Amino acid sequence: MSRDDVTELEAKLRQLIETIDVARLMTDPLTTSIKGLLSSSAANMDSEEASVIIRDGDAGDLRFLAAIGKVADRLLEMRIPAGKGIAGFVVSSGQPIAITDVGEESSFYAEVDRATGYSTQTILATPLRYNGEVIGVLEYVNRRGDPPFRPFTPAEMDQAAIYADSIAAMVNAYEAAKLFSDLSNKVLSSTGEMDFTDVRNWIAALRGSSENRERLDLAVLIREVSGRGDAERKLCRELLEAIVRFSDEKSETSYLSY
Amino acid sequence: MSVDESQFLATMSGYFKPRHNWRDATGKGVTVAIVDSGIESDHADLAGKVVESVEARVDGNRVIFDPSNAGDSAGHGTACAGIIARIAPDAKFASIKVLGAGGLGDGQVFLAGLEYAIRRQYKVINLSLGTTKPQFFAPLHDLLDRAYQAGCIVVAAANNLPQPSFPSVFSSSLISVIKSEETDPMKFGFRYGQIIELTAPGVNVRTAWVGGGHRNLTGNSFACPHITGIVARFVEGYPNLTPFQVKSALYAIARENQGRENL
Repeated sequence: MSRDDVTELEAKLRQLIETIDVARLMTDPLTTSIKGLLSSSAANMDSEEASVIIRDGDAGDLRFLAAIGKVADRLLEMRIPAGKGIAGFVVSSGQPIAITDVGEESSFYAEVDRATGYSTQTILATPLRYNGEVIGVLEYVNRRGDPPFRPFTPAEMDQAAIYADSIAAMVNAYEAAKLFSDLSNKVLSSTGEMDFTDVRNWIAALRGSSENRERLDLAVLIREVSGRGDAERKLCRELLEAIVRFSDEKSETSYLSY
Repeated sequence: MSVDESQFLATMSGYFKPRHNWRDATGKGVTVAIVDSGIESDHADLAGKVVESVEARVDGNRVIFDPSNAGDSAGHGTACAGIIARIAPDAKFASIKVLGAGGLGDGQVFLAGLEYAIRRQYKVINLSLGTTKPQFFAPLHDLLDRAYQAGCIVVAAANNLPQPSFPSVFSSSLISVIKSEETDPMKFGFRYGQIIELTAPGVNVRTAWVGGGHRNLTGNSFACPHITGIVARFVEGYPNLTPFQVKSALYAIARENQGRENL
């Protein structure tokens, strides 16, 4: 293929990507599945409203990824500031919680209720965990039928934890798909040389365990260094080999040999 | 063990008339550290009880604790303090706010909060929080050993979820609690042979909440402070009790609570 062919192909590919909205194509099936599971789980929990709340950026703010119920559309527009309210607590503590009389005084939920016109009375909130990390919150709000609503029971709390496991796996897939589509969009729309600072910034924004982040950072660093020339590549390789040798020797030390 | 302490433990088993009856104690002279979301110190249930209030600030790789008047960002710490205050009404509180720092209540901040409580030598420490991140297993273990050696009594909530959380599974070095549907706040139980050894009321517990109000709450987070309150009562009469002695006493009382049939 000649250089001209490659350029033409790239242009076509960019045009295609811009037309089909890759981001939505990759993430829509996942949000639909999350919403579906949310609906059926809410029915089983005898709950009127349910939502999946995920982390939004590194500052700890939260946003609604999926919601069902009367005010679902309003919720999807809302952001929860870091550490605020029940969802903020559940994300930062990893502890599930069930509460009644939620909106009775001034509280974050009273604010949400004022904004949505809804009346939150009882909530069950449980963390969404993936690989030990809390990636969001699953909330069930109120019961079907008329108030007063009976509180959520310990058995329902256990049930919600099981739903949370499945939803967390889907949320993780959603975030991975979103990250990948953002990344590929950026790569395809960039001209000329790839800027590794940008890639690093994306990786930093990648929600996931800090261990994963470090691994990805290392991979990007190696890619960057090896792209700088033969001497750099050789030095990088020698250094890494030395580290592996050092690590091998260290791992031979057993506590039993003391 | 001193004479006082042996008499205390024997009393718990019901063999001797108590010199110090923990059932009449109020936690007087005891400061309980609460590592959580802060405490609303002007709540009617807690007024005048919060003697120290600090909050975590992340500065590069370090966590610094500054004096705080931020109150409670979520309600959880206030709820825990409210439960303890009901059981040990004369106990004071040190609020160590670790949630909300940098937004994520990172595990490192949580660890730093526990370390702060140990360094300040608070005798009773309430940890209604936990982490399931494997990388914190070893550091938390080390910190809890330090707490144990310093004589600090750490009471932790079990994770409400199927997988283990830290530190509640480190049963040797701390007291771990799971919720029961018991409604009498003083009636806790013992689960012989289980990793999470103690049970305490944790379903629809009515307690203080931010904004001056009260809420009905369910979760292991609210079982934990029940035991913390009881421990504050023990410590009032016996300030030098070791974690092992406290656990033995809790076991003996739980046996009484359970009528000795569910062992």
